[in-house]
Amino acid sequence: MESEMAMRLIVGLALTIGILAFAGRRLLFLVKLARSGKPVTGRLSDPTARVQAETVEVLGQRKLLKWTIPGIAHVFAFWGFLVLGATILEVYGALFNPEFAIPVVGRWSLLGFAEDLFGLLVLVGIAIFAILRLTNKPEVKGRYSRFFGSHTTGAWLILFMIFNVVWTLFLYRAAQYNVSLYTGNDNFPFMNGGAFVTEWVASWLYPLGETANEWLEHIGIWLQIAVVLLFLLIVLHSKHLHIGAAPINVFTSRRPNALGPLLPIMYDGKPLNFEDPPDDALFGKGHIAEFTWKGYVDFMSCTECGRCQSQCPAWNTEKPLSPKLMIMNLRDTMFAQSEYLLAAKGKHPGLGEFDEAALASLSPEVRAEVERPFIGSREGSDHAAEDGYTPDGHRSSHADLPIIDEEALWNCTMCGACVNQCPVDIEHIDHFIDMRRNQVLIATDFPAELNGLFKNLENKGNPWGMNASDRNAWISEVDFEVSVFGANGEETIPDEVDYLFWVGCAGAFEDRAKRTTKNVAELLNIAGVNFMVLGDGETCTGDPARRAGNEFLFQMQAAQNVEVLNEIKAKKIVVTCPHCLNSLKREYPQLGGNYEVVHHSELLADLVKAGRLTPVNKIEQTVTYHDPCYLGRHNKIYSPPRELVAASAENAVEMERSGDKSFCCGAGGARMWMEEKIGSRINQNRGDEAIATGAKRIAVACPFCSVMLNDAVTSRQQEPGRAIGVEVVDISTLLLSASKS
Amino acid sequence: MKIAVCVKQVPDTWAEKKLKDGSGILDRESVEGVMNELDEYAVEEALKITEADGGGEVVVVSMGPERAGEAVRKALSMGADSGIHLVDDGLVGSDSVATSYALAKVLDGRGFDLIIFGSESTDARMSVVPAMVAERLGLAQLTFANKVEVSGGNVTIDRVTDNGLETITAATPAIVSVVEKINEPRYPSFKGIMAAKKKPVETLSAGDAGLDASQVGIAAAWSLVDSFAARPPKAAGVIVQDEGNGGVAIADFLSAQKLI
Ligand code: SF4
Ligand code: SF4
Repeated sequence: MESEMAMRLIVGLALTIGILAFAGRRLLFLVKLARSGKPVTGRLSDPTARVQAETVEVLGQRKLLKWTIPGIAHVFAFWGFLVLGATILEVYGALFNPEFAIPVVGRWSLLGFAEDLFGLLVLVGIAIFAILRLTNKPEVKGRYSRFFGSHTTGAWLILFMIFNVVWTLFLYRAAQYNVSLYTGNDNFPFMNGGAFVTEWVASWLYPLGETANEWLEHIGIWLQIAVVLLFLLIVLHSKHLHIGAAPINVFTSRRPNALGPLLPIMYDGKPLNFEDPPDDALFGKGHIAEFTWKGYVDFMSCTECGRCQSQCPAWNTEKPLSPKLMIMNLRDTMFAQSEYLLAAKGKHPGLGEFDEAALASLSPEVRAEVERPFIGSREGSDHAAEDGYTPDGHRSSHADLPIIDEEALWNCTMCGACVNQCPVDIEHIDHFIDMRRNQVLIATDFPAELNGLFKNLENKGNPWGMNASDRNAWISEVDFEVSVFGANGEETIPDEVDYLFWVGCAGAFEDRAKRTTKNVAELLNIAGVNFMVLGDGETCTGDPARRAGNEFLFQMQAAQNVEVLNEIKAKKIVVTCPHCLNSLKREYPQLGGNYEVVHHSELLADLVKAGRLTPVNKIEQTVTYHDPCYLGRHNKIYSPPRELVAASAENAVEMERSGDKSFCCGAGGARMWMEEKIGSRINQNRGDEAIATGAKRIAVACPFCSVMLNDAVTSRQQEPGRAIGVEVVDISTLLLSASKS
Repeated sequence: MKIAVCVKQVPDTWAEKKLKDGSGILDRESVEGVMNELDEYAVEEALKITEADGGGEVVVVSMGPERAGEAVRKALSMGADSGIHLVDDGLVGSDSVATSYALAKVLDGRGFDLIIFGSESTDARMSVVPAMVAERLGLAQLTFANKVEVSGGNVTIDRVTDNGLETITAATPAIVSVVEKINEPRYPSFKGIMAAKKKPVETLSAGDAGLDASQVGIAAAWSLVDSFAARPPKAAGVIVQDEGNGGVAIADFLSAQKLI
């Protein structure tokens, strides 16, 4: 007995030390790698929000539970692992002392019950995962499987390892139980009941006799230790790294989330001054070594779950971009170049230069990888339409081609679906925008169509290249007075004015949006809201420039607008464009512009509630409402537009993808001004979904959605029998027609 | 290879323009100034030639008021190496003859192998300055190029004419003017914009350039504005609601206009 116990201890400890040495080395490497990233500030500010996020998103698994079945399966696995932490203590205790129990609670039946219950639930969880994977095989479903491009073999290995953890656990516990029965010792802590699975398994092993059970206990313990440690080792070498990285990532992510405003280019913890940038400033990311440590932790956290991919408008219309594959690709690049990253220790100078000493220390293969072009055309690569990936997650390296496919980079509509879904709070858009910044500001290698956009914005202050003097053209088309700032010599906005109506470029120049402008003005007029417009004092907010990566141009336009708005003492602003809303409300505070900004849907909904607007004549046609990304996901305004629809129409239906799962119209991320050359059209995909609801009015709340969906509907109307009588209208149009008898 | 590119700042092509009260002179203050679009192609072509050559120098030359310095900076931010800006009150109102005289004076004797122009400016639209400068300098003129090749002391272009393309070759130094579509002008990178701030620009007065004051300015102009009138507003178009007869209506309209 004595010698057996000694053997149990020696084998157990030897296994532990052996495997832990490997695991420790890997862990140290990962920590060093993450720390080799460029600095980033503000990731620990507002600790309350961070602790809260940790509680809700990690412990509460909130984002995972957005998808019920996989969410519950993950809750079982996650909580299972927390609770089974207790069994790891017990198994190590048993190495030293056969009668070990955790102090105080260690012999409570409740603990035994919980451990067994969660062990069982983990099995249920992995069974669900296995079914999900079997019914959603990328080999069968192609790109419409969210697992397309994920490492499926690795995922099965993980499920198998979890299964091993659980069965070895029950094996040693059952044997321990039986040994306690035979010897009358308290080897098993829960002899008073509770551990119901253990007892059930034990009843099967009991007939094997005392010696057999004693040996089963030893072997079970060794197996359990070996399996747990091997699992740890696999975790540290695979996408399952998220077990450790995700809680750190969630803690250090942007709060409340990485949607809405984009971050300015930072230098030394402060927004970069474009007037006089320091020589070593970076303008975006043009090499893997230019990413911050938060970027590296993002890449380490990705679980390859594909939730982001399943929602991505680009991926769903057969374009190369998948947010998941991009993150995986960045992660693989980070590992492939880790020798350089570790040697350069964050001192990579960027702008096409390398840390020469670090470069010299590399093997020729790694060096070639480090010096390989980062972003560019991957034309001619295998699986070009899938960003180079095969269904099972293999990307042929094509060492002759750049790492990041520029096509995929420019496919992104910045719709935020990926960020919104990601259970581990990866900040996809921030990385994409940083790479776009590099392409525009440093490499000047970007889609040619953007040339025209940038020129129009620079020379004319609007994307269409219209003359500023025409900004007020709509006023002559309405039959009521509209006050224009400065017309009566005002220097600041008069006190009696309730709102500055920021018309926006679309609202002033684009025909459909102009109609919205006029409708909103009329509704405000009816409701007795005193508003004023800026006329030719407005210029583009800079949203298209910023999302196209031209941060320099954005900063100039935003600074100009902030100067004007501050000078005239603007306080309350109403806009009809969600992009204007996002810039004015969420981005201008970065430049010292703080205003109370509302979208017309919010203001109109309030006016209806207050009885200042009364829809008397609800329209009969069924309405379906399309959530604009920059109103919904980015700014969480979901109900006011729906309230307006309900107030104006007899019947409303929801599309399958609505609310925070709304599908982009295709215009965001400056895509409005780029050609859509690959795959099917995003707007058509969405338009068809809206038409399929049978609704005759597609309500929108964004000038760009309006154009995109109108195009989609019009093209279907040319096919006989389709989309008959369907119209795309702004919510203000609905409300206005319902308000007239 | 040392290349000069002549650029002009013009009032924004698409903006509504005004004349200075009562005079025939354009009110340049009332509109944004931009670099003449065709000159962007000229700059791009010069940069491409030096890049392909693996070296060389591109000098931007501009004549115009203080503000025209912006056009020079723009060309520098695209990648040109240095600039020459001829600015003098005495030059105000110069016509194309005077402009060609002034430019020729500035360009002469600086050892340029190639002088590139945009084929016209979007404000005056005369297309004659490149030819006049060539004449004054006694250099070959290769105008309206939509393709330029330089090799072994020769420059060869494809010249766009009404009847198709002509291929013309001349020995350098020579003068070339380019049409749009010859290339895709680059958008200045932020790095380029920063670097442009530090690039040298030589500012010359009429005196510095050795100009005879009696040959430039409005007084010396060979052409003058006799009278002017505002453009009449656009007539409203014909709108036909398509009630199944759209095709017929279009055909009727076209035949009424004698187009079909
Ligand atoms: S922001 Fe939208 S388009 Fe861009 S990667 Fe994410 S889901 Fe795709
Ligand atoms: S980025 Fe996030 S949502 Fe996308 S696969 Fe990775 S973990 Fe899943």
